[in-house]
Amino acid sequence: MATSVKWQVQLPNAKLGKAFGVARNFGGGQVRFLRWKSSHFSVLRITAAAKGNVRQKQKISQTSKPPVVVSPGPISAPSLTEREAENEELANAVVEIASEGELSNSEKKELESRRLSSSNSSSSGGGSSWNYSPRSLGRKILRELSSLQLAIGELFAIAGLSALGTILEQNEAPQFYFDAYPEDKPLFGFLTWRTILDYDLDHIYSSWYYLGLILLLAASLIACSSTRQLPMVKVARRWSFMKSPAGYKKLQISDTLERAKLSDLATLLMAEGFEVFSRGPTLYAFRGLAGRYAPIGVHIALLLIMAGATLSAIGGYHGTVMVPQGLDFQIGDALQPNGILARPSPVMNLQVHVDKFYIDYRPNGEVSQFHSDLTLANPREELYKKSISVNDPLRYGGLTMYQTDWALSAVQVRVDGSDPVNLVMASLEKGDKKLFGTFLPLGEEGLEKAKGISILARDLQSVVFYDQEGRFVGVRRPGSGRPIEVDGTSILVEDVIGSTGLELKMDPGVPVVYAGFGALMLTSCISYLSHSQVWALQEGTSLVVGGKSNRAKVEFEIQLNKILDLVPELKNFEEETVLVSASDSQVTIERKESTDDK
Amino acid sequence: MTFITLEHILTHTSFFLLFFCTFIYWGKFLYINIKTITILGKISMKFACFCITSFLLIRWISSGHFPLSNLYESSMFLSWGFTLIHLILENKSQNTWLGIITAPSAMLAHGFATLSLPKEMKESLFLVPALQSNWLMMHVTMMMLSYATLLCGSLLAITLLIITITKQKNFPILMSYFHLSFNSFIFQKFLQPIENEIFSYKQKKIFYFINFRKWQLIKELDNWSYRIISLGFPLLTIGILSGAVWANEAWGSYWNWDPKETWALITWLIFAIYLHTRMIKGWQGKKPAIIASLGFFIVWICYLGVNLLGKGLHSYGWLV
Repeated sequence: MATSVKWQVQLPNAKLGKAFGVARNFGGGQVRFLRWKSSHFSVLRITAAAKGNVRQKQKISQTSKPPVVVSPGPISAPSLTEREAENEELANAVVEIASEGELSNSEKKELESRRLSSSNSSSSGGGSSWNYSPRSLGRKILRELSSLQLAIGELFAIAGLSALGTILEQNEAPQFYFDAYPEDKPLFGFLTWRTILDYDLDHIYSSWYYLGLILLLAASLIACSSTRQLPMVKVARRWSFMKSPAGYKKLQISDTLERAKLSDLATLLMAEGFEVFSRGPTLYAFRGLAGRYAPIGVHIALLLIMAGATLSAIGGYHGTVMVPQGLDFQIGDALQPNGILARPSPVMNLQVHVDKFYIDYRPNGEVSQFHSDLTLANPREELYKKSISVNDPLRYGGLTMYQTDWALSAVQVRVDGSDPVNLVMASLEKGDKKLFGTFLPLGEEGLEKAKGISILARDLQSVVFYDQEGRFVGVRRPGSGRPIEVDGTSILVEDVIGSTGLELKMDPGVPVVYAGFGALMLTSCISYLSHSQVWALQEGTSLVVGGKSNRAKVEFEIQLNKILDLVPELKNFEEETVLVSASDSQVTIERKESTDDK
Repeated sequence: MTFITLEHILTHTSFFLLFFCTFIYWGKFLYINIKTITILGKISMKFACFCITSFLLIRWISSGHFPLSNLYESSMFLSWGFTLIHLILENKSQNTWLGIITAPSAMLAHGFATLSLPKEMKESLFLVPALQSNWLMMHVTMMMLSYATLLCGSLLAITLLIITITKQKNFPILMSYFHLSFNSFIFQKFLQPIENEIFSYKQKKIFYFINFRKWQLIKELDNWSYRIISLGFPLLTIGILSGAVWANEAWGSYWNWDPKETWALITWLIFAIYLHTRMIKGWQGKKPAIIASLGFFIVWICYLGVNLLGKGLHSYGWLV
């Protein structure tokens, strides 16, 4: 069965007639030519339909002219692997064409190396001679990296390690692993704390092998895009016209319509959103070419995200502070660099003053939102004021401050009508259900035997009092004005002062990562599009139509069948002209009898 | 009060309709093919979709926030997603067997939400401060829709696997004869080439005469599962990335290796592997379907398993 292999050769001075003449002698196969001029060079496209395994090396010695070896490049057809599946022998085909010495030496070398690289990639056994020059070694590495099986293996490995990281607790202190994975009772017979700590399983996501895998994946992405995807797009962009009916049988779907006109089909295709080109009796239409470009965009977007994440990891600063209301801190004191690319910034000299920290509560007592009123100032003046809350951070000069945590710092009380006194509170329970407490000693007996009043609070809403014996006495709301009698002392709660927990970040990688995110979202959506192509040939009164689609095979068949059903059948082909106009919503067909008899 | 009674009416009606649809579509599978019942099935699926949409809207109005804040609401959203996929696909193509997958999925998701969750989890609560953001709509909607499409696609892949496996079991007599008589390691080595010959001969015959429709069905299933998963994959991408952007706006870090985030990434990787294995020569059909079936379980781990078992930013902390 004859199949065709297409590739592109730059032969600046090749003359069509002579090259064609030579190729006719070639091994029982057919060679067709398409001369294609661009602005800078004249390109000769040589299409060879060869039968079986064609290695015509021995024929070259019969011709007197110096041979130029021309072979399929690394990519020779729109979907390389599909074609290879169909015709593995043909992918090895080497067609040699004499060019009558019109190529310069450098061009010959280029073609020669292209032949070697292509036969290395397309032949499964690799029987050609190896060239160990650095250029071809780099090319060989690039080809190995672009292997799909390697990429799939890398993805599986990353997925597996990530899953492992969710099962084993990450980033805990070593003592945790000593307790949880003891050596005398190994999990699954081998998992002890020793294996975990030795193989970095306590911090899988920052371990050398995980990061190495991601780096390898990035290399594979680069290799794949440059060696496979870009040439594939160049091939897919080309328009090709099928001039003989034999080619149509090989397409995914093909049909012959009796007594139909090419122009009607063209109009219908245009109505369906195809871009239609016709040349003489042939037609070529395509749609969804963006779906061929988009996977390259996906790979580039992924690389952008990885680059941005690397920049975030080794550049920029981060820090956490817990600042009681009314105090301030210097930004530079709170920040630590992430890595070697961190560069200091003038915003680090500024001071942040926490004017107020308050919590909004719902009627049932649940927290509705946390707020902090912050002021940025340098020693001379106030620069910026903002009230931040949980999903609303403060951004200034490359620094972002997030409201992430909170605590109680002190309770302000009047004891027996004295001036307000701040009793500092300590954290008794952290996490979701916080508990803070402080102690008001009574008497003068020294710290070990001090007895006093315990004051506890969970939030800014209410304060609970326990007496010397630890018995519950009562609850007061701050600012209510009602004093409480505990062990003979009258205490009035003025206020509960909170601390705001702020997270500070300076991340230079964020714009890059966001750009990568946006690109990935867009290109992955566009990748859904299927590149559909339709060819048609007017043979007398019948129309041979064929088409294929790379992704949506079933949908394309249904749609093409619908289109073909709409093509009008002409009763009298010679005399009748049928007007077909198609807009978005409908197709109108008018039959018009031609006025003259011929 | 009326909101709650309306919600009750809508959930019960939609469940009944989905059950009815499942019954009809599975009946079609068993060749019960009466025209009026088919039309009834289509109408009832449309009406079920409408009921669940109204339920979600009423829930949105009554609680004041987008109806996707807890497991109950997200399961109802998932079932809505299944009905939506069913309607879109049935309109787009003429095949009538997609409902065999989508109708029971919608019913089961609905049933999980309404019948098996305790009453406390069904209440619409106020949103905690971390969830009070417009990103909630985008991120969780995209994730749930992507779960629905990916589950649908992987269910089709599982169906394909089941059909291809049963195809090989067309010769039970021959196989069992050999296995009973010569059930030893040594003899099996001799038997293998004989079996292969006989099988291939028989396969050829049966392939041409009986299995053409099966082959056609397999091809269609393969292509449909590929297309549906390719639709779910960009949705999953958008969901994960919008979640990352939201995390950066809320907590300053777009990726925290939270169990749910990590499992969403693993789901993304597995389906990326699926989309790429189809490009390997000769791998269309069965082998990618195995990966898609693996993806089915991984989506469930990502959606439910992590919340129920793990700790972290997304946990409901139910079982542990």
